[in-house]
Amino acid sequence: MDPKEQLEAKGNVATRLDDAWVTIVWNDPVNLMNYVTFVFQSYFGFTRDQAEARMQEVHKEGKSVVSTGGREKMEVDVQAMHGYGLWATMQRSGQ
Amino acid sequence: MRGFTERDGVAVAELDADERAVVARIVADVGLLLGGESFGMNAQPERPERDEADEIFARLTGLEETLVEPDDPAILRLLPNAAPTDREVASEFRRLTESDLRTTKVSRLKTMWEQLSEDGPDWEVRAEDAMSTAAALTDIRLVLASRLSLETDEDAERLHTEIELAEHALETDADDDLLIDPERVWLGMLYQALTWLQESLIAFAMSIEERGQNE
Repeated sequence: MDPKEQLEAKGNVATRLDDAWVTIVWNDPVNLMNYVTFVFQSYFGFTRDQAEARMQEVHKEGKSVVSTGGREKMEVDVQAMHGYGLWATMQRSGQ
Repeated sequence: MRGFTERDGVAVAELDADERAVVARIVADVGLLLGGESFGMNAQPERPERDEADEIFARLTGLEETLVEPDDPAILRLLPNAAPTDREVASEFRRLTESDLRTTKVSRLKTMWEQLSEDGPDWEVRAEDAMSTAAALTDIRLVLASRLSLETDEDAERLHTEIELAEHALETDADDDLLIDPERVWLGMLYQALTWLQESLIAFAMSIEERGQNE
């Protein structure tokens, strides 16, 4: 394989891995249910029902995956959640 | 204190002078905790211009700061670790975002402090500022919760019971019999008052948004 091909192959793999990140919001005792719902609604554009379902999942299961995508996109989402005071983390999907 | 209700499309809460002073004080404290300048009278006069060296220096020190996690658990809750299982991702995130997050949070707190420093009992929040005010209230509550060691939902419920007991004890002059930590009760009551204010502000924001959808 010539160096150029190798580079391309690597690039492809990197792209595929890059798509597989998730943003997780974790439960905490401070954030109010209606606040979390409203943040999900206004930031992610969820309907009220979708936002409430995620909020309930956070509250009852302890966490919820709120978005998926490339690493940079997840950095933007996690930063937004931290801006709102929500406890959010990012990781590779399936970890 | 009266929670936020709508008046001509604006959210209005009522706080008497003492309540305003207490809330303004905690707002300023959290601003300082986040590394902002002090708000108000005692504030250092802002330097009119930052020269290039200042900018570079600020960026350098910012870089240095952002590579390590804050020691104070309250600050860590405001600027959490974004990837607890991956140090490289976590420090990269901190380097890229921490300075912006601090700036956003401090500027929201400053706006709130200015509103609370105006005369009269009304605290007015315009509809477009409701979310940023609610977010600032969250930051303050996160700091108070950290100081009160509220880590689980059960801790938060226990605090509620503790305060009820303390209030009852004070009413019946039985406070000597109970081991009450006055500072904890005071912080707890402030936490509850801010929770209640935030709840009413979000109810306002939600009703405005619903109306917008129906129109």
